[in-house]
Amino acid sequence: MIDEGNKAFWDACAAGELRVQRCITCGHLRYPISTVCPECLSEDAAWELLSGRGTVVSFCIFRHAYNEAWRDRLPYNVAIIQLEEGPRMLSNVHGVSPDEIRVDLEVKVAFEVEQGFSIPVFERAAR
Amino acid sequence: MPWGKAAISGVGASRQGKLEGETAISLATEALRNAITDAGIEKDDIDGLLTMPGSSSPEGAKHYLALGEHVGINPRFTGSLAMGGATAGALVQLAAMAVATGMANTVACVFGDAARTQGSKFDAAAGRGDSWGIWGMFGNAANSAISARRHMALYGTTSEQLGWVAVNGRRNAALSEHAVMKEPITVADHQASRMIVDPLHLLDCCLITDGGVAIIVTSPERAAAGRHRPVRLWGMGQGHTLENLGREDWWYLPHQKDCVSGAYRMAGVSPKDIDVAQLYDNFTIAVLLWLEHAGFVKVGESGPFVEGGTRIARDGELPVNTAGGNLSESYMQGWLHVVEGVRQIRGECDTRQVEGAEICLVTGRGMTLNTSSSLILGR
Repeated sequence: MIDEGNKAFWDACAAGELRVQRCITCGHLRYPISTVCPECLSEDAAWELLSGRGTVVSFCIFRHAYNEAWRDRLPYNVAIIQLEEGPRMLSNVHGVSPDEIRVDLEVKVAFEVEQGFSIPVFERAAR
Repeated sequence: MPWGKAAISGVGASRQGKLEGETAISLATEALRNAITDAGIEKDDIDGLLTMPGSSSPEGAKHYLALGEHVGINPRFTGSLAMGGATAGALVQLAAMAVATGMANTVACVFGDAARTQGSKFDAAAGRGDSWGIWGMFGNAANSAISARRHMALYGTTSEQLGWVAVNGRRNAALSEHAVMKEPITVADHQASRMIVDPLHLLDCCLITDGGVAIIVTSPERAAAGRHRPVRLWGMGQGHTLENLGREDWWYLPHQKDCVSGAYRMAGVSPKDIDVAQLYDNFTIAVLLWLEHAGFVKVGESGPFVEGGTRIARDGELPVNTAGGNLSESYMQGWLHVVEGVRQIRGECDTRQVEGAEICLVTGRGMTLNTSSSLILGR
């Protein structure tokens, strides 16, 4: 799963940092991870540190296990996070119940270690 | 002036439901046989073959080879396309373009799937690679659930309003010869059905069924020699957002507006001209978004429009999914939406016929809410 193209992202996560690519040619900040800039098709990019702050665009709550590995986590949310710097990420918001999660909830990144991988998730931001 | 340079001369469906022992190819073949009969042509009149591989088809993009060999068609024009629920419309469009340019005279568009008996789960993780699985994002309902949740937050849309879409589909399915689910349901039943991906209940979700559908596209002149009144393609459109997270309003499927407005422009019609609409309904929220994107209501007003179920009923101001759609008729990924559109325009729908139906909008959407196609059918 980890390859040359996404290693920097996961290495940053392991170090407790959320980094995404900024195109050196046109300056576009992009996510998902890609070998080319979807704006200008340049391959030159640098991994930029983000604040990790964002808001919930929308979310859903899984109440049915489509995948056995997730059965014991039911119910769990999956949310689209609008990152402060522009890109959007799919992730989970931890520490909020299905009744508490809201559209426009302010969140910040956190990292959860799963089977040796540090995975970016989000938590409610401190007020 | 509507475009109208190609017409649908025949439609055919196989049996629908849980069909033990059938395969994607056998069901496609059954549908093709019925479409050939419906069109009043011989198999050898077909010189174009366009197909959509089903979830149970192992051939992928080479599906046309397998089906062509199976049914003995050596076409001048062929191919397979996989755009999920937008495929039926997109293939009819390709067929129409082939006919209009003279690359083919008569094109069969064919689909078959044994999704039910072969246990297709539609549970894959989306994203690049299977990357969204990292966050537990599996299956097709989740995207639509996220879309519905945002619509609810912005416009006050309610789950009960979504329920009216399900109720409307079911009461129309009761009058459809193909329909798999005919038992009447109420909004209370919808609310009581188990939650799949919140806010979507079981009765917000399409069925998973076995079946096949075929659609014959030819010139209006050839179609006029067939068994039925030709149904001309007045307008056709597509729109796509291929970057899932690239657009801020991806959840709203903004490309669908371009998809339908393109078809309106080509047909020279506007929303008020549409007599009946077959709107792709993989999940109930999809119908609400189509109502907005197709200009039947303003942005955010689709919930109140469907509430009570009268405006979208067969005798309402905009009859929607008159055979029950993916939710109740059968999950043929939008193929039966085209069939029902054709039958409404022919005026052969008996007890579910919409009085005076002359212009029908048919929409499809698919994949991770990325793709869309639309057809405007007329006489």
